[in-house]
Order: sequence, then structure tokens, then C-alpha cells
Amino acid sequence: MSRSPMRAFALAGALLLVLGLAACGSSSNSSSSGSAASNPAPPTQGKKGGDLKLLFAGEIDYIDPGATYYSGAFPMFQSIVRPLYGYLPDKTTVTPDLAASMPQISKDNKTVTVTIKKGIKFGPPVNREITAADVKYGIERSFKPKLTNGYVGTYFAHVIGFDQVSKGKALHASGITAKGKYSLQIKLDAPEGFTVAQALALPNSAPVPESYAAKFDATKDPAAYGTHQISSGPYMIKNNASGALTGYKAGKEIDLVRNPNWDPKTDFRPAYVNTMTIKENNTDTSTATRQILNGQSLISGDFQPAATDLKLALQKFPNQTKAAPPGGYRYIALNTKVKPFDDVNVRKAVIAASDRTALRLTRGGAVIGDVATHFIPPGFDGFDAAGGVKGFQGPEFDFMSNINGSMKVAQKYLAKAKEKIKGKTLLLVADNSDPGKSTAQVIQQQLQKLGFNVKARFVDHAAMYTKFCGVPKAQVAVCPNVGWFKDFYETGSMLNPTFNGKSIIPSGNVNWPQLNDPKVNSILDKTNSLSDPAQRTKGWVQADRDIVLDAPGIPWVWDKEYVVESKNVQGVINNYNAGWDLSFSSVK
Amino acid sequence: MSTGTGILQQEEEPAVAGAESTAEIAARSPLELFWRRLRSDKVALVALVVIVLLILTAIFAPLVTKIFGTPNPQATNAKALDSFGTPTGPSSIHPFGVDQLGRDVFSRVIYGARISLEVAFISTAVLLIVGIAFGLLAGYYRGWVDTLLSRGMDILLAFPILLFGIGLASACSLGNGCVPAHNFGVYLVIFGLVVMVALAVLGAVRMSRRTAGRGSLYAAGIVGLVIVALGLVSRFLTGKNTALIQPGLGVVIFVISITGWPYIARIIRGQVLSMREKEFVEAARSLGASNTRIIFREILPNLVAPIIVYATLVIPQNILYEAALSYLGVGVDPSQPSWGAMLADATPIFSTAWWFMLFPGLALLVTVLAFNLLGDGLQDALNPRTGK
Repeated sequence: MSRSPMRAFALAGALLLVLGLAACGSSSNSSSSGSAASNPAPPTQGKKGGDLKLLFAGEIDYIDPGATYYSGAFPMFQSIVRPLYGYLPDKTTVTPDLAASMPQISKDNKTVTVTIKKGIKFGPPVNREITAADVKYGIERSFKPKLTNGYVGTYFAHVIGFDQVSKGKALHASGITAKGKYSLQIKLDAPEGFTVAQALALPNSAPVPESYAAKFDATKDPAAYGTHQISSGPYMIKNNASGALTGYKAGKEIDLVRNPNWDPKTDFRPAYVNTMTIKENNTDTSTATRQILNGQSLISGDFQPAATDLKLALQKFPNQTKAAPPGGYRYIALNTKVKPFDDVNVRKAVIAASDRTALRLTRGGAVIGDVATHFIPPGFDGFDAAGGVKGFQGPEFDFMSNINGSMKVAQKYLAKAKEKIKGKTLLLVADNSDPGKSTAQVIQQQLQKLGFNVKARFVDHAAMYTKFCGVPKAQVAVCPNVGWFKDFYETGSMLNPTFNGKSIIPSGNVNWPQLNDPKVNSILDKTNSLSDPAQRTKGWVQADRDIVLDAPGIPWVWDKEYVVESKNVQGVINNYNAGWDLSFSSVK
Repeated sequence: MSTGTGILQQEEEPAVAGAESTAEIAARSPLELFWRRLRSDKVALVALVVIVLLILTAIFAPLVTKIFGTPNPQATNAKALDSFGTPTGPSSIHPFGVDQLGRDVFSRVIYGARISLEVAFISTAVLLIVGIAFGLLAGYYRGWVDTLLSRGMDILLAFPILLFGIGLASACSLGNGCVPAHNFGVYLVIFGLVVMVALAVLGAVRMSRRTAGRGSLYAAGIVGLVIVALGLVSRFLTGKNTALIQPGLGVVIFVISITGWPYIARIIRGQVLSMREKEFVEAARSLGASNTRIIFREILPNLVAPIIVYATLVIPQNILYEAALSYLGVGVDPSQPSWGAMLADATPIFSTAWWFMLFPGLALLVTVLAFNLLGDGLQDALNPRTGK
């Protein structure tokens, strides 16, 4: 993954999950079978000590845990701060981290209560015990306009008082209260408790001591607290007695050392290595990949090896190449508001004709993951109920079932279409760099074969979103390089922002197909208000089914993330990060 | 881009004048002489044959691929890729292997000749016409016309060409292109009227001082009218959303032409400056020939030699320029085969797919080399005294 476009999105006011749609291609051992979400349990033992070096292709966007939204930065923050909840490496459900137990959600789904552990201390120089008020402040400050993390608007907008803080009119959100030293209550103005509770695994719920941080937050410099941050996890960025970071050289290097106040008895993290060094801006990922594979104590930070490097890694260094399970879907959005795609039969014909294995080859072939057949990715609740890898079955899904494409089925749907498509012009806007450019050219060919006249525009990845695909007025018919990746394991977060008609906005829109089906909208809204997990899953599967039948796009891969390590590293993958878990990895 | 100053220095003496004197003795036409000299230059002949073959290949590309039985250059083929999506090398079906989308490299190299030559010839023609016109005007009329045009050229020559090209090309690659025809038409009409008035005033002043004749007034009127007419065409005879600079080939041609013409204009200007003082021009003037006649009948024919030489040298430059722009991703639509774009796509996978870079690279090398060698040969043949 080259530098994630996160920052551009945050500025555009768009939500885009922890991801790298511009990511490099990839590949590995084939996974045609069953759920691809399996990730082996972490080894129970690791050698204590040593220094682990991470090579980053880009750089960490914001050093502040309340501001960052860079997929590469999450593993680092997971080991230097403790949010309320976290994920064990091989799990897809949350585990209490700073919290003492699972969150309590009220019957009306409008109040979330969390109790936090006693006796956990901040790192130096604050050194005191962490209380519920610190968590309250950590969450509140992440709403501030100065901290452009890009996700609070999606998951925390219904917290009472969110608007005042996000518009800069208040410093505190009245909906968040600390009840005593160890209990935190979050009140919402809509039945969104379930989603908010899941979002408490994001780094903005890590505690921040207000008395220490307020003076930094009062300044205009958005990085002020970040460069003076206080650790709560097993590691900390090297700092001096006043709290100023000495181990942070922006764009170059970040040095992590152990937090002396961290107590292993309160944490599920084993924290094996003594120190970690993050080396940023290794922009040539091909060289970085080879350095890691042939070197000592190195792991890949924020990038995936490009297709050819991955082939080399898998063939020559199979034990040093690991895959994180898929955390999202890539699809080719077909704009339901642009002729002739306003006709569902035309969209179904396009899906039926598309050779999705050919599309997948542009990112590395079968090794990168299964061809997607619906919109709930492996590892999420409801994946199996939605038919797993094969997807929904039945004659009405015939347009989706053949992943190699079928002209016969396509002709069937074209015959039902209201208009002839021959010679109709489609505007396609895609990335001007690989692998996105290649994917777009393959679908361009397939559309031309069906008889469309395709007008293709190849632009910068960020411009593709901010000027074209994310702007309904641009009327782009085909967006081949879009996808949606998780912030946490909650099925609704994979469907609601992207396919609910109510989420269509004039710019920074992520409902790229502009699907606005009243039936789908009502199922999504209803399910989102439920608090019973089983009922929710049922609702999401129903919604997934209806969305597939609406044919808003061609889902073509649930791709894994590949990472590489040196021979003497025992790296552990974390499902949630779709990358390394630094607190579980060790040096042999 | 070389400035062609080498040619300038070598061309002090008009080529045809030299040829004329020989013609009296041997009774051979200048063309005949030129052909005899070129024929004896084996290297140039080979280059000429290569270029002719290349042009034929470009024109008959569909036929060539049919003969070799290779697929359509735009047809992607997942079956020609291995399970990792990496391309496969030369085989009986794909003599030059395939690219990252399974497209046949042989077909793309053949069809790539079309784009390269199309861009090279069109942009060379445009920059020659513009450059020759301005060079003639500046050199012949001198004075304020020369000052105006020469300073304009100086400004263009000071542009960082490649950066300008990339910027303009990427700006014009979005949406429908740039410079909307309707708006531009309005500006052009206004500009034309301003030019007409300004030139008329200047002409009147000069006439009152008796330094210019009535002709310059007419010329001013004609120039202004042409600009106004172009503006009206652009305003009223184009589609609603038409942009003058279209994404793709249009942008590349525009960039190359706009940045390339000052070089030839300077060369022509220099030639004209020396030639307008020559006896044959003086003679024509004393016989009462008009400026137009002197420019087109007396001076221009004597510039044919440097123009031909410069054109053959600028064509390979333009081919490379197109390749560079395509390499940087601002050229033609990526589904169209362009040698430069192929090289760019091949770079990241070079370690596993050498054929993808080798063949388009060779094609580019051979083409540019052939044009350069032919250019050298033509120069020697047209200017025997500067030869070896």
C-alpha cells in the first residue's frame, strides 16, 4: 500500500475506511476453499527483547491518536495507547482493553455504558492512574474540527453534543459523562448504541489526560498534543521529562521504547520486543521488500509487496510471507442514476458478462483472495448466512454466480432491457496508475465487447474520488477502482454507508452507485436500530441479498493483505489491522 | 530539443544558389544533384528504407498483424497470464510476448508506430507552418514586428518545456479537455479587433512618417480579420462542450507544437535576415515586386533545404517527446498502444517481463535513429560544402 489517501478523504469530508484502494497488487498460496478469514492463533511464546524495525513506504499521517486515520499507523497506536476495546490477533470480536468488561447497551440502543479497569497508569511524565474522565476527554477532543480523523462523523455523530464540539462551539460533549472514577456513559440521540460500542476499538477512545493536554489542544497547531503525547500502552514514543517527543522525526523515523508504567497483568498484550524503530518513506517498495526478505529484524510497515515482488516472496520466501484475511470488498460501481444503468437489467447484464477472474489477475490472481459475490466480506457476521464465498444461490442470482462471466446470461438480461445498449456511451473514470489502471482497462474491454462505447478517463487516485466518483453531479457511469474496507468488524458498517440512499451527499459521496432503493434503505435503517446481535445479523444478510439483486456494481475480490518479515522475526498478524500486531510479534 | 543552431551556421550560403552554379556546367537539375549525392550515402539510404517500411507498417498495421496472426492490440487476454497475473514471454502465438493485461506486444508495437508517426508528423507540420510563418514575418519586416515576435519566441524558449507539457497535458486530460471553444472564440474575436486597431494605428503613424506604404495597412486588416474569423468559427460552429484541446493525442500534439515552433522560427528568421539583402531580392524589389511576392517567390524557395533538414531532425525529437509524455502518463488513452506508455507500464515488471520493455524500446530506438541518420544524410546532400 502506498501512502493511504486518508488525508485527502478527511479533508473532503468523506469517510473511507482504513484502507489503501490505491494499493499495490498482490498475490499468494491459493485460497479457493471456504472462508478466507482464518488466521492462525498467535504462538503462545515469543522471545523477550530485541529491536524490531518496520519499513514504511509512506509516513504516518498524524502522530496524534485522536487524529490518525492511516491504516499503517494503527498497529503503532495499538501498542502505544489503550483504547476501551481491542482485538486479539486471530479474533474478529472485540476484547476489553482499557475497559474492564464488554459494553452495556441500553434496551433502546441509545445509551452505552463502559466500566474501565482500575490501577492502569499513564506513561511518563504524567504517571498517574487513568480514570473515566481521561477517556471522556480523549473521545471529546477527537470530535474537534482541528483533528481531522475522518471517521468520527460516521460513527459518533449521534453522540449528544457532538455537533457543538465538531463545530468548535464547545470543548465538551454533554452526552459523554464520567460516572465516578471508573464508569463512562455515552448517550445518543438515535438508536446507534451498537455501532458506537463497536467503534470504541478505534484509537480515539484511548485516554488523554485533560489537565496535561488542554494547553496543547488550545493551540492552533494540530500536532501539538501528538508531539507531546502520553502513552497508556506497553510502548511509548521516546520522550523527555516535559513530555516532548524525542523519538519522533517527522517523515523519517519513530523510536518506540517500553512504557515503564505499563503493567503486563492488566493487559492481553505480551509485548515481547524491547524497542521498535519505524523507518518512513521507503518509497521504492520493491527494494524495501527485498531488504526485509534478505535482512534481519525487519518487517513491512504500511505497504504490500507489488505483484511481481509478491510472486518472488511466495516462491522463494514462503515462510516469511504472510497474509492478513480480507477486510473489505472491491467492486466496480455502476451508477444507477446514469442511463442506461438506470435499468437494472442492463446492470445485471454487465455483471453477468464480466470475467471477474480476469479482473482479479490485475491485482495478482487467485492468491490475493476469493472473487467477491456479495457485499459481506469473509470474517464478518452474516458471511456464511449470505452463502459464504459462493454467495446467494437461486435462479434470480444467475447473473452473479459465474465468476468467469457468461455472455449467454448477459444476453438474457439484455433482451429484457428497455433500450438497446449498442453504441451507448459510458463515462468511465479510473486511476492513472497500476493496478487500478489495469483493472479499469480490463472492464473497459468487457464493456466494449457488450457493445458499449466507453469514454475512459484516467486520473490521479485522489482526483478520481474527489472530482469524479465521489461527486454525483459528475455523472460518472462506471467507477472501476472503488472499494470499502472495515474500521472494525461490524457488518452494518460495510453496507449502510455505501448502499443506503440516505447517505448520498453532493461531494465526498461513498454510495458510488447512488443506489436509492426504498426497500434496501428501510431494512438498513431498521437493522441499524436493533441491539440484538442475532437479529442484526439477520437484517444485514437480508439487506445484502436485496443489494445484490439491485446490481449496483460488480463485486470482484475480497482481497487479503500480504506482509513480509525477515527470517529472524516471528511476526503475528492481527485481523483487525489487516497487518502486523506489533505487541505480539517477536524477534527470534 | 536541440536548437538547430548547427544548421544555422552551416547554411550561411543558400544551398540552391550553390546548386545553380553547378547546374550551368553539368546541366543537371538541383533535384537530380541532390538525389545523386543522397544515393551515394549508403547510411542515409538504409535509413530512408527503414522509414518507408515504418510508414507502410503504420498504414497497413491491420494487414501486418493479420499476416503474423497476432490478435487485436487492444484485446486483453487473461489466459496469456500466469496464475499470479504476470505476463508470459515470446511464444508462437505471441512472438513478442504479452503485456500485463495479456495484450499482444507485437500487435501493440506495430500499432504503436501509428501513434508515434501520427503525432510526429502532425505536430511537425503544425510547428513548421507556424514557425516558418512567424520566422518569415520577423526576418523580412524586421522593426517592431521582429521585436514583438522575437520576444514572444524568447518567452516560449524560456519555458521549462517538459514541465509545461506535463502541467498542460494533465490539466487538459481531465473531463472534456481544456480551453472551451465558446469562451475562447469570444476572446479571439476581441483580440482580433484589438490587433486590427493597433496595427492600423501603427501603420497610419508609419505612413504619416512615410516609412511604410499602404500595403502594411492592408496586411494589418487581413491579419485582424483572420483572427476574428477564427474566433467566430470557434464561437459559433462548435459543439456546446467542445474543448479546443482534447484529452489524448490532441493534448500531445498541442504541447509539442506550441513549444516547438520558436526553434524553426529563429532559424528561418536568421536566414531571411541575411537573404533579404542578397542581390536577387534587391533585383526583385527594384523591378517593383510586392512584399508578398518577394517572400513567397524569392525567399521561401531558397529556404526549402534548411526546412527539410530541420523537419527530419525535429520528427525524431517529437517522437521521443510523445513517448516521454506518454511515459509520464499524460499522453494517449492507455488502451491505445503507444511506445512510451508501453515502456512506462513495463518498468515495474521489468525483472519478470523483459520482452515488454525490449520490443517497444527497440522500435523507438530504430525509428529515432533512422530519422536522425536520414536527417544527416539530407543535410550533407543539400549542402555539399558542409560535408565531410
